Amino acid sequence: MPHINYQDKEISFKIVYYGPGMSGKTTNLMYIHSALDKERTGEIVILDTQEERTLFFDFFPLELGRIEGYSVRFNMYTVPGQVFYEASRRLILEGADGVVFVADSQKSRLEENIESFTMLQKSLSGFGVDWTRFPLVLQYNKRDLSDLLPLGTLEGQLGLNGLPIFEAVAVEGRGVMETIRTASRQVIEKFQL
Amino acid sequence: MNQPKEGKGDIRQILSDLVEKSGVLTAMLISKEGVSITEAGDTSYLNTTAMAALVAGMFSATREVARMVGEKQFSILLQQGENRHIHISLVHDSKMMVIVFEDYQRIGLVRHEARKSGEAISNVLARCDKPEGAEEIATPQFKEYALNLIDRIFQTK
Repeated sequence: MPHINYQDKEISFKIVYYGPGMSGKTTNLMYIHSALDKERTGEIVILDTQEERTLFFDFFPLELGRIEGYSVRFNMYTVPGQVFYEASRRLILEGADGVVFVADSQKSRLEENIESFTMLQKSLSGFGVDWTRFPLVLQYNKRDLSDLLPLGTLEGQLGLNGLPIFEAVAVEGRGVMETIRTASRQVIEKFQL
Repeated sequence: MNQPKEGKGDIRQILSDLVEKSGVLTAMLISKEGVSITEAGDTSYLNTTAMAALVAGMFSATREVARMVGEKQFSILLQQGENRHIHISLVHDSKMMVIVFEDYQRIGLVRHEARKSGEAISNVLARCDKPEGAEEIATPQFKEYALNLIDRIFQTK
């Protein structure tokens, strides 16, 4: 449910990039921020450690425009991926209107992907969200590396058939805009009061 | 029937009164989702959008810490700096009032005015439920226009 200010006619949706550590969530966000017109986006906030790992969250606001008299904004967040930041992740996920799950495509990371997705399901269920109807997009990132998980692996193992999936190389921007476009469309299509 | 013209204007007035009475620099009301609802005082030095997101995250983290020690939540957060300080209080269970001030000796006054303003804002929010006709936002036209905008903004080159 987006945050709606009826008096000032403003609607804010929250989109969260979720996934295991170092899967490329911040890279996705930074690419989107750099690719969009500057008048649409606010400053990007990156809170990371010296090892380039997200500590708390990354964030930037994106002004979609004025629709039917309402000013519509997407607030874009990433969560920290490492397992021990579960409490922070849950906090940032709260109130999300849609999620992009950024998976690390390397075969060696299969277990971390599954563990992360299981935590996502658990958190969403904890918020009372029916995650099977929730706006969710799966991105297989790092498709430029070798020894990759075949597409369909995660959906098969997690019972996610029908979920929109995208291949990406976020450092080069490949697949990044397609992913966010589909996630944003789902958020709007499933939006109801 | 239209919703009475109360709400954000009233809240801004309450925050403006707080700024005036307690001599603080800035007062903001933000949602727990990290969205700035309204602001008063000087905001020229501040990225209020980022501030709202960060404070909401900070408050949420503090709530987890409170739970760890057996409290439901801590209702006030105080950050003391060298020259500027921040007082954050929970309002109406889901909003946070952020006050930035410079003279730390005024902390008593800030807390007193924050409590009074928090109660006043809470009363306003209790009257500000969804207006009739609000469902009109999620119309097919709204969605169609939003989807067109999304396709345009996120187009691949």
